[in-house]
Amino acid sequence: MDREVLERFRLGDEAAVKAVYDRFGGPVFALSMSILGEHGLAADATQQTFIKAWRAASTYDADRSFGPWIYAIARRTAIDLYRKRARVVVSDEVDVVYLPIGLETVWEVFEVRSALDRLPDEEREVVRMSHFDGLTHVEIAERLDIPVGTVKSRSHRAHQRLMAMLKHVEEV
Amino acid sequence: MTTEDSRAQYLATGSSGSGESNERLDLIRDVLGSGATWAEPPPQVGDGILASLASEAATQPAMAEPTTGRWALVLAGVGGLVAFAALVLGTMSVMRPDQDNVVAMSGTELETKASGEAEFGPTDAGWWVRLEVTGLPPAPEGSYYQGWVWSDDGEGVSIGTFHLRGDEMPIVLWSGVPLAEYPSIWVTLESEADGPEASDQIVMTGRIPDVPEA
Repeated sequence: MDREVLERFRLGDEAAVKAVYDRFGGPVFALSMSILGEHGLAADATQQTFIKAWRAASTYDADRSFGPWIYAIARRTAIDLYRKRARVVVSDEVDVVYLPIGLETVWEVFEVRSALDRLPDEEREVVRMSHFDGLTHVEIAERLDIPVGTVKSRSHRAHQRLMAMLKHVEEV
Repeated sequence: MTTEDSRAQYLATGSSGSGESNERLDLIRDVLGSGATWAEPPPQVGDGILASLASEAATQPAMAEPTTGRWALVLAGVGGLVAFAALVLGTMSVMRPDQDNVVAMSGTELETKASGEAEFGPTDAGWWVRLEVTGLPPAPEGSYYQGWVWSDDGEGVSIGTFHLRGDEMPIVLWSGVPLAEYPSIWVTLESEADGPEASDQIVMTGRIPDVPEA
């Protein structure tokens, strides 16, 4: 992310807030969905995350990477919202239990979505149709009305880019 | 085939040809196949964030202290009052809270116990509308509330949605159309199964008498 944008975000500049949302709104929403599993709540968590980030912007060090900083805010916000939703009255003595929550892949979801959002649109589409829709290259070619060879080359380039962007995730 | 090619192939297919497995790449492949990873935030979320920030800057005195601190740093950095003023004007379009910017909202026959206020103010690209309501129950599962501004010609424009199932955030909506031309504020109950048009389930209404120019 451009350092100047981050500096302006730190100062509360509206255009910078929008630029930061355009870059990180998808990963934050994906993270929120992975924890909360419901669009409305994930939208709330996303909105709260950016408002909290803006309020805390004076504490952000622009020399450091912005992704981990907003990731930490987003994760905490979604978990807080989850706990409020999962609060269950059991009895007078034990009034709260938390339903189980799967946090094992939250960071990976955030990082993978961040990488996907940086792919060219046509490559991102092929990756989505392959992994999410479960289509073969032939089926993708038919769906997009392009040659199979084009699908293969887009897929190859996209996965190479993803591997380069996700090396730190693979090597954890 | 290079190591990079081999790993990219594994990520794409789940196999590199060598027969060896890679637990981390398998996990990334799982994430790539997850619906959460591909989920898109509703378009109103971005507008809602900007509206909330503009609203907060305009209506919360508590923000003044840290904001002043930030501005003071900027002032020191750029060295002058002119730059300070330009920065303030160029960022949040702050309008001080004013009773002229508050309109009463009342429940209809569908929600007779609902009441509240709608406060509004300009942003750089429209108007924020902050709702404070009492007596309106959380929207039932499968439904949500939607705010609208309505012109006297009968044209309605959505200004955002909410469901009142949370408890910590103000309801801040955003209008991209001028409130002077769309002075009526409605809240409707909408079903997730229905289309984008306003339902006839109007639960709250209010009307802005005179709107200052943005």
